[in-house]
Amino acid sequence: MNLAAIFPFEYPLPTAFYLFWYVLTLVIHVVFMNYVLGGVTYLGLSSLAGRPNRNELALMLRDWMPFAIGVAITAGVAPLLFIQILYQKAFYTANLLLFHRWMIILPILIIGFYLTYLLKAKKVADWSYPVRVLLGLASFACFAFIAYSWTENYLLSMESQDQWAAFYGSSDIMYDNAAKLPRLGVWFLGAFATMGMLVGWQLWYKDQHENVKLVSILAIIGLFGSAGCAYIYKGMVDAHFPAGPYLYLGIACWGAQLGLWLVQLAKAKFSGMLLTLISVVCPLGIVGMTVVREQVRLAAIDLEPLYPLHKAAMGVAGIVCFLFFFLLNAGLILYIFRLVKKNWIGPEMEAE
Amino acid sequence: MTHYSSFLADVVYFPLNDFGPAMKGMIIGGLGIFHVFVAQFAIGGGLLMCYFQWLAMTGREPHARQFLDGFYKVLVLISFVIGAVTGVGMWFTSIQISPVTIGVMIDQFHWLWATEWTFFCLEVGAGYAFYRYAKYLNDKARLTLLIFYAFAAWMSLFWINGILAFQLTPGGWHDDNTALWQGFFNPTYFPTLFFRTVTCMVIASLAACVVINAMPGLEREDRRRLILRCAHFMVTIVLMPVFGLWFLAVIPADSRSWVMGGSAAMTMFANISIGATILIGGYAVIGLFMQRLYINGATATLLMALAFGATAGGEFVREGIRKPYTIRKELYSNSITPDQVATLREIGSVTQDPYPVRNQEQYPNEQVILGQKVYRFQCSVCHTIEGANGLMHLTGAWDVDMLRKNIAKLQQLKTFMPPFSGNAQELEALVQRIDWQNEGQPDTWPVSNDPAVLEQNKKWLDDAGTQPGWPKALAKSE
Repeated sequence: MNLAAIFPFEYPLPTAFYLFWYVLTLVIHVVFMNYVLGGVTYLGLSSLAGRPNRNELALMLRDWMPFAIGVAITAGVAPLLFIQILYQKAFYTANLLLFHRWMIILPILIIGFYLTYLLKAKKVADWSYPVRVLLGLASFACFAFIAYSWTENYLLSMESQDQWAAFYGSSDIMYDNAAKLPRLGVWFLGAFATMGMLVGWQLWYKDQHENVKLVSILAIIGLFGSAGCAYIYKGMVDAHFPAGPYLYLGIACWGAQLGLWLVQLAKAKFSGMLLTLISVVCPLGIVGMTVVREQVRLAAIDLEPLYPLHKAAMGVAGIVCFLFFFLLNAGLILYIFRLVKKNWIGPEMEAE
Repeated sequence: MTHYSSFLADVVYFPLNDFGPAMKGMIIGGLGIFHVFVAQFAIGGGLLMCYFQWLAMTGREPHARQFLDGFYKVLVLISFVIGAVTGVGMWFTSIQISPVTIGVMIDQFHWLWATEWTFFCLEVGAGYAFYRYAKYLNDKARLTLLIFYAFAAWMSLFWINGILAFQLTPGGWHDDNTALWQGFFNPTYFPTLFFRTVTCMVIASLAACVVINAMPGLEREDRRRLILRCAHFMVTIVLMPVFGLWFLAVIPADSRSWVMGGSAAMTMFANISIGATILIGGYAVIGLFMQRLYINGATATLLMALAFGATAGGEFVREGIRKPYTIRKELYSNSITPDQVATLREIGSVTQDPYPVRNQEQYPNEQVILGQKVYRFQCSVCHTIEGANGLMHLTGAWDVDMLRKNIAKLQQLKTFMPPFSGNAQELEALVQRIDWQNEGQPDTWPVSNDPAVLEQNKKWLDDAGTQPGWPKALAKSE
């Protein structure tokens, strides 16, 4: 195998270096973002049912959603940093062209965030049906809109200078591209599989198995839906779609996840072994698809003029400092788990 | 000089947006002030909670734990949501206002920003662990989590403060672009770090006073005792003049002159900030600490509003005194570097701008359209046409020759303005654009292409030179 032909090694070292960090941090963001997207979608749609959804899955998702959003936003800061170094003008231009349409994701994110705190409140179950539906769907709509906006931003960043100028001249703030919905579908529907993995662990840990079939079915539907959208999307950007090891990795992991979820579906309880295997193939699948996502963009953008800039950026000091604090703070975060476990004095404290 | 950032080497054109009557500085400033206030509340809140946890553990304050639970919920709901989202929002807004500036900063400081991000992660980890599990943990673990949280929050200030201070005083970095740490630990780094730390403590303790008044089930004496504990944090405000004067002493002489009366707006905002701080400080030191008075919810809220005003004034001044630069001596406010001015004087500033002027049909001729393009590229970051800091208001009484001469010699007219960076034709186009607006936007407008006028424009531009303006009285200090 020719290593030099494999992403990111086909690029000069500085560019490959930043691509590596970008993909790595983006994958971390995607994992938590999927929990949020899959979770609010499930909660939103299930709010349509007549009675308040009090199943274990819904309770778990409601309980952890604000935390997951906080982590997803925080995890999103790092790739947002690296994308600016990698693509510079293309990323900034897409942001500027979408203008208000893009900036509105900020208040919508705040609203969506607070709505998930509201969803968590126990008293919501006592509210009237229309209010509960409104709350659930509004929360879902907020995050769906943000996902849609990122898709729009990504696709617009790949356009040519002439198309950017024409778009600017038109004063439009909605970018029309047929690939938008299928591309959005790839990530949106795929989110259910990742959410299934994470919430599966949470329910397994709490020994709650009431919704094992529901979680498995959601993951399976997500996998099929994502694959279908990927197929349509591939047809639309065929010239840019890379057939290579990462695509095969993504497909292989998709197949493995599907198989594992089907086995899980047949069981009455969440299986630690199956979840462990899913936890291996799911992130690997995300890595594969994230790299393919980036390869599509890299095929559309002429990165070569940016090579010297990546080299210059890499020459800037500070990486040792980053790595030091990265390790230190990762260690402290791990220590927090131990601290909580070791110093747990139980519910009797609450009684006090 | 070899530039570390492409944005400093070549002129990069972006599709610049128009915010209507609001100048762009109001957008970034408004969000920035709000974000800074919330972030400082979160940082000070972390320190304050450590103190109250210690009070609870040592039995010094029986209601400290109750306060902690209430205060922490407020902190999570405000800081973890609004603080986090507006933090990301600052990046997006910076891109909207000046992609070149943020591009340069990212190129230079991305690893330090990434370092700050690791502290965000720790802050979220420790913060949520406390939020979810504090009631099940022993005191030692609670304090440890709060210390982690406070440390992470303060370290985020430690990192971002260096990046912000760098813009005003890049220090030794200006001569050596590879000297990152010289740029980071620049002359204004420590005074601003200490000043902001005190600000964080004051804001958090004021917020705590509001929370204490809203807490159910407490007697007035209990509230008073908790408030007086908060006052211990608040009295650090007495250190502010020291750090403020230190800051004033190390900023560039021209920047100092804006605050000391050189710019009415800057002086006024500085005084608003100082006045509000004195009022808060007086109440905290004399009222709370010395007289041991009670502070009710309304007064605490009012003091919070004053603190917001002080923050707003201070941030306005901090941003304003950088003028005409966004990164001192490296990048002007309008994203043109000092080195690029001479080139753009030759080739024209918008000759290579690929983005058309929007709604061209509303302009009477090509020259006015060109003038609009020049305005968009060079002026629109700080000015509007008719809204805030509008060119119509600033130039409405000028005749055409005044427009020509004043714009050509912009950096001499007002030393906080960058030099005009276009050629004589572009200057004339901009003049015609403004004059057409001042005359009520008639349907037809003559093209001004008299060679003598263009020659005079060129002469004025040459006279002004391409260097920034500099008050003669300050010449010795540079």
